Amino acid sequence: MPGSKSSTSAPEALYALATAAARSVIVVGTAKNAGKTTTFNALRAVAQRRGVAVAVTSIGRDGEPSDALDAEPKPRVRLAPGTLVALPAGLVPRSPALAILERGGESALGTVVFARVVLPTRCEIAGPPTARAMRATIDRLRALGAGPVLVDGAIDRVAPLAGGDDAVILATGAASGATVARVAAAAADAVARLTLPGRDPAREFDEVVHLGGALDARDAEELLANPRDATVVVDDPTRVVVRGALLARLRAAFDLRCERALRVVACTTSPVGRDASLAPRALVEAVARATGLPTFDVVADIAA
Amino acid sequence: MNADATSAARIGLDWLRTAVAPVGAFGRRHDDARPPYGPGDEARAHDEIAGVVALAAQLDRDGVPRARAALRAVPEPTPIVARARVGDPLSDVDFYELGRFVDAVAAVARAWDAAGGDTARRPPALDALRTLLAPGREGAGFYLADAFAPGLRAARETLAAEETAFETRREAIAARVRDAIGIDPAGDEFVVLRDVYDGPLPDDVLVVRETPTYRAAALRVVAPARDAALARLADEEEAARRALAEQVAREADAVAAATDVLGALDRTLARVAFAQRWGGCVPSFGGTQLAFTEATFAPLADALAARGRRYTPVTLALDGVAVLTGPNMGGKSAALATAGFVCACAALGVPPPARAAALPLLGAVTWIGGEGPEDCARLLSSYAAEVVRARETLAAATPRALVLVDEFARTTGPREGRALLVAFVEALRARGAFALVATHFDGVARAAGVAHLQIAGLREHALNALDANDLDAALDAINAAMDYRVVAAHDGEAPSDALALARLLGLDDDVVARARALHDAR
Repeated sequence: MPGSKSSTSAPEALYALATAAARSVIVVGTAKNAGKTTTFNALRAVAQRRGVAVAVTSIGRDGEPSDALDAEPKPRVRLAPGTLVALPAGLVPRSPALAILERGGESALGTVVFARVVLPTRCEIAGPPTARAMRATIDRLRALGAGPVLVDGAIDRVAPLAGGDDAVILATGAASGATVARVAAAAADAVARLTLPGRDPAREFDEVVHLGGALDARDAEELLANPRDATVVVDDPTRVVVRGALLARLRAAFDLRCERALRVVACTTSPVGRDASLAPRALVEAVARATGLPTFDVVADIAA
Repeated sequence: MNADATSAARIGLDWLRTAVAPVGAFGRRHDDARPPYGPGDEARAHDEIAGVVALAAQLDRDGVPRARAALRAVPEPTPIVARARVGDPLSDVDFYELGRFVDAVAAVARAWDAAGGDTARRPPALDALRTLLAPGREGAGFYLADAFAPGLRAARETLAAEETAFETRREAIAARVRDAIGIDPAGDEFVVLRDVYDGPLPDDVLVVRETPTYRAAALRVVAPARDAALARLADEEEAARRALAEQVAREADAVAAATDVLGALDRTLARVAFAQRWGGCVPSFGGTQLAFTEATFAPLADALAARGRRYTPVTLALDGVAVLTGPNMGGKSAALATAGFVCACAALGVPPPARAAALPLLGAVTWIGGEGPEDCARLLSSYAAEVVRARETLAAATPRALVLVDEFARTTGPREGRALLVAFVEALRARGAFALVATHFDGVARAAGVAHLQIAGLREHALNALDANDLDAALDAINAAMDYRVVAAHDGEAPSDALALARLLGLDDDVVARARALHDAR
């Protein structure tokens, strides 16, 4: 039943869904303060309750007391014993000490090191600066531990992770729209782009149009000026920068695909924004309807 | 050995520096502290080159690249140790890096042994530093283990107990809050929507931010015992790090000595790898000749090999100044470059790739001929560039200079150009410099009173019998027909074979025929 509350909590259900799909789970947000880190922390909390040692890292800099850009307070990252973490050497907490396992690549904040938490600790997490290096970091975390790898990600830096077997969770909420309908529409738009299907030679048209760079409004208008039976291929879903109705027209007119697909497995919603709060249950249900994906509010414990 | 950018490029000095570059930071530091050998350094140069030649014969050819790979992987401990020496606090990542250093030095030593290296150059074991760090080593990693300080274990056990008590207390408070406001205060922070609950929050709840629509809150869990346990552990861990850093500081000399050994080994192995690739000899220094037998200009040999062609080694004996003539494409420039390259090898302590060599250690090498990048920057024409370079060369020429002149004055009128070249050669001879002067002008050697050498050139009638369909085939054909040896010249017109070569290189037959008619009618 949509919007139902079951004996399994929303965070538990989200964790089970995401980790069944992949060994690494990347949380990205449709906007700043869309609840990305809240989702990330909810997944960690489930793992901790289950006694599963996870590995964590971040594409951005997370865990600091306030956001570096807008000074908005952010959730802290408290790590349980056994957690594997990839973070710059300069952010390794001095106490309680971590077990340093090995070193990785460079980041803006120094060499990234892989470490294991021995006693509970709070720390900032910042992963490598490029998603390509993030790919290597995720793979290394997978090799170092048996548990899932949780990544506090960024929607604009997820491109080189495409083509892997990671599960992507899209966090959305009142930060991306003042009404339930607007948030749902924004989520649907993002999911439509991120779930662009991969190539399938059996279903492609004879004419295949490769777009080397971004698929922008100008490309879209040029294509739509000559609608035909053709498959249009971009490198990965993040190359599609057209939105809304234009994207819908394009997908209706062409077989739009990507070389390296992403696996978006669920959405989460945050009903609170700086200037508005939305009805949590209505928001979860609207986003689920608009995206066709399982949707969760991990704070209000609602799933749809 | 001084060489400007043009000269360095022409004689392959840049290529050589890259070919024998150390793979690690210690080797680069070691190299940077050692300028090229010059006049007066003959004994040291001889010893280094002799050592490299002996090692090239002794060490396993597959083992050398493995030892170099191990050297490349050694991390830099110097800044960490320097900070320890001045009493700066070290971090666990620093101790981890020192552990990596100890392991990497051991790996180099193993690779050195496996390659057949001797004990004299073997990197030291750093046993004292290894023992210091041992309690914290977990495989390749590092943890500030209980064994580092007597108070660590107790502090950690206390904290673990307080953490458990804290969680129990927090859960009890969370249950009270759930009962009071109907919201589960899960996680470090939780959200209270005003739509859901806008009443007063229990005393145990701390509002961390507020908006018109919600309150973000955290449970207020007062845990002075846990805070004290955290503080005590922090003190114990810092004390343990301080004590460990002090012990690390006492190993500074051992670490410095190890990096010196690694640096020297890196430099040596780079030269050994070169010698194993190209062969090499121990030159005799101190004579009055610049002479070598079957020397290879390695940069050109490398480029030719990439195209499936073979380099012909050069043999040359130079007593002061000599003029070198020969056909186009006969290897005059390559002979000049080989002379410079062989001397550059000696200056860098690299065995010259030759069967034998008797060399001076030079103060400078200068190449004159054509324009270099500096000349272009000065907006000089080819002729002006050569003249300016000749002026500067004469001003600095000494018996310890090598001047390589490649078709000087070829871009001006031939009569005046030849006269200028003769006068320039006389001036070089007067200054006692070593010089090899390639030219197509006739009679320069005799006019200037210096030795005359020539490229043996095309084997008789060989070229006329050749035909080729494309440039590559033409080059192969010329290569096969050309005798690149440098030999004593006989008097007469300097051969160029320009017309035959032009035909083979595909110039229109009518043009070549007309040129030959004009030439024969002269």
